[in-house]
Amino acid sequence: MKNYVKLVDFELKRFMKIYLALIGIVIISQIVGVIVESNQFMNLANGEMLDGSMNLAQFLETYWPLTMSRILFSRWFILPVGLSAAALIFYCFFIWYRDWFGKNTFIYRLLMLPTARINILLAKASAIFLMVLGLVSIQLILLPIENIIFQTIVPFDLRVDMTIREIVNGSGYYGYLQILLPTSIVQFFINYGIGFMTVFTLFTAILFERSYRIKGIIFGVAYCIFALVIFLSPFIIEVFSEFGYFYPEELFIIEVILGIIVTGISIWVSHYLLNRKVTV
Amino acid sequence: MIEVKDIKKNFGLKKVLKGVSFTANKGEITCLIGINGAGKTTIMNAIMNLTPIKGGEILIDGERLTKESYEKITFIPDAITMLPQMKIGEALQFMKDFYKSWNEERAKELLSFFRLKEEEKISSLSKGNTAKVNLLLGLGLDVDYLLMDEPFSGIDIFSREQIAEVFTSHLVEDRGVIITTHEINDIEHLIDRAVLLDDGIVLRDFRTEEVRELEGKSVVDVMREVYQK
Repeated sequence: MKNYVKLVDFELKRFMKIYLALIGIVIISQIVGVIVESNQFMNLANGEMLDGSMNLAQFLETYWPLTMSRILFSRWFILPVGLSAAALIFYCFFIWYRDWFGKNTFIYRLLMLPTARINILLAKASAIFLMVLGLVSIQLILLPIENIIFQTIVPFDLRVDMTIREIVNGSGYYGYLQILLPTSIVQFFINYGIGFMTVFTLFTAILFERSYRIKGIIFGVAYCIFALVIFLSPFIIEVFSEFGYFYPEELFIIEVILGIIVTGISIWVSHYLLNRKVTV
Repeated sequence: MIEVKDIKKNFGLKKVLKGVSFTANKGEITCLIGINGAGKTTIMNAIMNLTPIKGGEILIDGERLTKESYEKITFIPDAITMLPQMKIGEALQFMKDFYKSWNEERAKELLSFFRLKEEEKISSLSKGNTAKVNLLLGLGLDVDYLLMDEPFSGIDIFSREQIAEVFTSHLVEDRGVIITTHEINDIEHLIDRAVLLDDGIVLRDFRTEEVRELEGKSVVDVMREVYQK
């Protein structure tokens, strides 16, 4: 356990510079986004109303009052969130491959540590999970600040105020913030449970490749397909049975169990590969 | 004692180890000799469970390698096993954090012997100094067995001399050492046992002193006999 904690700490420190840069991009881009989008809206309002072509009521009827939810759909928000997500997905691969490649083969040291090798896997997964939580926390802190900036720039008549929960829920059909910031504890476990399962499945695929090289790529892809089919099997049954085979509650419980099974299999297979098959 | 018993290993269709057996005793320096591709590094990796073997068995003091074994056997590969962005001091701290067998006093002694500074970044070190740091990370552990892969490969003559000096010092005394090399001249006088390998098999396994005394031959003489046959 002590070694696991030390490894998590070590993995976090290794990514810290890039991670802080990502956080910086998110903060700057979103705050600039709120200012730019709010000012653009104010310029539009001033332009339309000052030349006398529209009164306030007509303007609001045409353009609708500005909300934070609308600003969330601007590229200032979507790009840094997308960049962070892409960076973390990329990091799922990089966190393993950087240890094998280059002049300094750190994987030798990791595999020769006097600790269970599964700790290496768990530490890497935990580091990614903590980074995601960190970014989400930053987003949670940022939203009220951005809301204040928005309210400072856009007068009351031209805006609709929303609570943080409303902003998150109002991020619409594509609701990317709803994925990151679940509004219930159940949703939190679903979203992050699926995330965890995906990371462990991906790690298992990477370890297949690191164990069997070219053949391992096929094994890894096959494993991902196997995990996906297992996890989605109730939905597959639903599709082929043409009518609602499961009640929603049943479906939810089955999915939770299948998620746990897939994660458990991934950890077990990774444990086997790390101890018996992986090669430096 | 490290016992390597009839180990086999394939890379794809190529058989790299075709049943290699030898033993390495504590307090002795055993040298695995062979040209590139003979299987030396693969044997080291196999002993440390860094690559799976297809057949055979490897025992360390009569037992298979476990995670606890890494406190009593260590491997110094030919590339440094620490991150390039780390300072030497941070690398030493890493070892201290994870290994109970880390001997800080000895590490400091080696640091001063090799004239290295803790605040130096690994990425900024010369090849010779990188090899010394690598050696330091292995020798700083209170282990019974030390495995070294080509410790003299591609480094300057002064660094070679310094590293060779370590072999005659108290730093490796009483430890079992397995070293691989294809440049035998630097350490011929130091080794107790030589295992000559070629194409994944042991061509000859002998005690150097016996060969010197009974046959009047050096290790290089035996190598000529075996490899040029």
